[in-house]
Amino acid sequence: MTKANPPLERPHRQQILWVSLLVAAICAPFVRYLEPSILAFIGLILGVRLLALRWPKALPNRWLRTLLALAGIANCLATYHTLNGQDGGSALLLSMLALKLLEIEGRGDLRLVLILTGFVCAVLFLFDESFLTALYVAMIAGVSIVLLVELQGGLPGDGLKTAARIGAQLILQAIPLTVVLFVLFPRLDTPLWNLVQDQAKGYSGLADSLEPGRLSELVLNDDPVFRVRFAGERPSRRQLYWRALVLRQTDGRRWTQGESGPSPSPLAQAEGPIDYEIVLEPTGQRWLFALDLPLAAPEGSSLDPEYQILADQPVTGLKRYRLRSALDYRTAEPDEAARKLALELPAWILTPRLRRLVEGWRAEQPDDWAVVQQALAYFNREDFYYTLLPPPLGPNPIDSFLFETRRGYCEHYASSLAILMRLAGIPARVVVGYLGGEENALGGYTLVRQSDAHAWVEVAISGRGWVRVDPTAALDPRRIDRGPGTRLLSAGPVRLEPENTSGLVRWARNLRLFADTLEATWQNWILDFSAKDQRRLLERLGLGDWGEYGLISLMLIAVSLTLGTILAVLMHERKRQDPLDRLYGRFCQELARRGIPRLAHEGPLDYGRRVAVSKPELAPWVEGFLGLYLPARYGTQRGPETAQALARALKRRPWRPS
Amino acid sequence: MNHSTIPQSLHRPLVEQILAKAATIILGKGPKLRLSLACLLARGHLLIEDLPGVGKTTLAHLLARLLGLEYSRIQFTSDLLPADVIGVSVYDRAAERFQFHPGPIFAQLVLADEINRATPKAQSALLEAMEERQVTVEGKTYPLPQPFFVIATQNPLFQVGTFPLPESQLDRFLMRIHLGYPEAEQEKALLAGEDRRALLGRLQPVLSPGELIELQSAVGHVHVAPPIIDYVHAILQFTRRSGQFAYGLSPRAGLGLLHAAKAWALLEGRDYVIPEDVQVVLPAVVIHRLVGGEPGQRIGSEEVARLILEQVPV
Repeated sequence: MTKANPPLERPHRQQILWVSLLVAAICAPFVRYLEPSILAFIGLILGVRLLALRWPKALPNRWLRTLLALAGIANCLATYHTLNGQDGGSALLLSMLALKLLEIEGRGDLRLVLILTGFVCAVLFLFDESFLTALYVAMIAGVSIVLLVELQGGLPGDGLKTAARIGAQLILQAIPLTVVLFVLFPRLDTPLWNLVQDQAKGYSGLADSLEPGRLSELVLNDDPVFRVRFAGERPSRRQLYWRALVLRQTDGRRWTQGESGPSPSPLAQAEGPIDYEIVLEPTGQRWLFALDLPLAAPEGSSLDPEYQILADQPVTGLKRYRLRSALDYRTAEPDEAARKLALELPAWILTPRLRRLVEGWRAEQPDDWAVVQQALAYFNREDFYYTLLPPPLGPNPIDSFLFETRRGYCEHYASSLAILMRLAGIPARVVVGYLGGEENALGGYTLVRQSDAHAWVEVAISGRGWVRVDPTAALDPRRIDRGPGTRLLSAGPVRLEPENTSGLVRWARNLRLFADTLEATWQNWILDFSAKDQRRLLERLGLGDWGEYGLISLMLIAVSLTLGTILAVLMHERKRQDPLDRLYGRFCQELARRGIPRLAHEGPLDYGRRVAVSKPELAPWVEGFLGLYLPARYGTQRGPETAQALARALKRRPWRPS
Repeated sequence: MNHSTIPQSLHRPLVEQILAKAATIILGKGPKLRLSLACLLARGHLLIEDLPGVGKTTLAHLLARLLGLEYSRIQFTSDLLPADVIGVSVYDRAAERFQFHPGPIFAQLVLADEINRATPKAQSALLEAMEERQVTVEGKTYPLPQPFFVIATQNPLFQVGTFPLPESQLDRFLMRIHLGYPEAEQEKALLAGEDRRALLGRLQPVLSPGELIELQSAVGHVHVAPPIIDYVHAILQFTRRSGQFAYGLSPRAGLGLLHAAKAWALLEGRDYVIPEDVQVVLPAVVIHRLVGGEPGQRIGSEEVARLILEQVPV
């Protein structure tokens, strides 16, 4: 470092401590997203930093720091094999930010750390956009603004209190601008960072096939899948079958979608229409959820013959759509091809006792629907149990379930019923989706969680089209496993209400509902505010035809208005400035233009002397001005005429005003 | 007495006369002489820190002569007792009671020579008297004469057999100055010239004690405009918040700085303080009250003053 550098203002230990804690706080949420090796590195560096506050000797020197930096980069590379992308980039940024804390020479370094912290706040939103995260980030950003103000120094007394006040003022002043930019800044239809979103990101939720064990994984998963707002009355729980996928092909173990048929035939009968809006969390899949049965597909998606709704793009961000469904419906009769497909069975699963069972029903009842009822009655009568922990099935799962284990949950029942029906010559298919949902009276919506996942069956009955049959609902309620695992159980209509609704349980439930309401409001108003809403706003303002240009010009106008107001307030403050100060300011400005700027710490007399030495021709003018200015500014001789005299003296400059 | 009887315009010639005479005795130390005079006019005590033999004692003696002050000198040694400074009560057989015999501190200008050679006990006796401007012995309080100055000299701390003054006591001195070796020209003149003591003896006072008190009260009437207050406050804040120093300046230091600046303005013939006055006196007033931020750190005095002055905008 050369001598000419101004002395660094060394930060207080206290300030380093605050900033380090803030960095630790912004790193904390990344624990859920980054690999342990990265977290360990960051933790190590932060630990050294905190130890060094107590024992400054622990601080690594320059060489060691360089080594640590290289180690940090190598660590990121070893973990993610890249320094780009969401994960690799964030890991590198966080590691280097932590390292910077070991290299605090002056306050400038702390400022840099705080500004980078702001950047990390933005990065965190790539991982999580929830309301709580936003709240947390707002808190961190607020604290870092206060610390930045405090670092600037020169605050009286307990500096932090004053800094907090100034910081709060700054934030309040920024709010109008933030609102303007939020509402009017032209945005893409999808968030920009979807472009960099890692494709391999895992989503939990339904998959496009069904085999035993798939859904039971979801039962313990409390993550929200979507939230529904009904335009009118909320239908009863028994009608809330949220359809996602129709599975028509089975190999005896696994159900898959199979090929799709021709375009959908209209419903033969559709009554009890219901309108609702769904806000879907990212699933990474294309299918959308709809109440049985949807009448039309929303924009950007299509309805297929099985009444599944498929979006044009996989859902990687929050998705909102409106739907109309008919609760009371009758589908058209399936055509021959569809019937044939819905009767296919792999021959290897058909055992004699299976055949005997179905033939027994068929012999008693020639009517298809009566056979279905027989089957349901069979599930109810025999000792079938509903349990989340079924025993393993033999090589022929269907036979082994129906005659040996007889313990399972919705997918066992749906799968076996569909196979039994096909065996009886009734076209049948399995539908996967969700059932029910938790009503949130506070937020006015219904929340469907992963744990509401369910599977049921549709059979084709001549004259009635496809009819929904839920074998799980037919079980004898006495044979439902009430063991510890089932307390969380909510798949299927056998959902158990908590038995002791004591105050604490109710309170916890309400708290959860409240938190989810906040989340939903956040999604509705902030996250989901899209280009569409902007267009709607423009149309409401009568600027619909202007499109993006209207948005941009509106934004420019609003920003200039906001900035103009702030500027006007500042100008007003300036006007209140002492006239002498203003005149002296102009005097210094004039001289600065002549190449001799005043140093910040230079008193008027010293400045005048310096000017007189370097530009002797200016000396008389400078002396004349200062001779009036000094007694007026610092002495007691001061009247209304002083300012005028000074202004005159200022005008007597020995050069032509530019 | 609200206003000085000497018109403001007359202060400057008087001051110049003092300084001119002083310059004949102590050669080439104009700015230091001016600072010491400002210190005395601001009613502050002065600490001169330097090696033996550079003229500390002569400076003190000179000021006493020029200002017409009653002068006494206490040579501090390691066996000096507080009573040797303050005085002692002795039983008077004839009057059948204790009689107080005032010590050498009862003088208008006291030269405390080599103050850091005495034990802390003796040092604090002097420092208390400096602060209170009175002495209490056995429950009775005796006021010290008016005006009352202490000029203390101190050898640099690294010399053997010294008790360095703690920071809290250094704070009692308004200014600390270094004299330093004379320039070559002046030193030759000194070597060639007459004995300084003889010269001192012939020197006539320029001021009477009454006039001195008037000058001091004139210092009190020097105008301080709000921007100067802001500036001094900014300096204090800087020392407290910059992280360069273990402790910032105390309010007492701020008052001292302002008062010294007022005295300096008076010496310059002005009845108001300008920022330059504060800047000129700042090194002498401030440096000895500041301790570096990290243990064992010694900041060169020049650097400290420059640091503060350059970092605080006017």
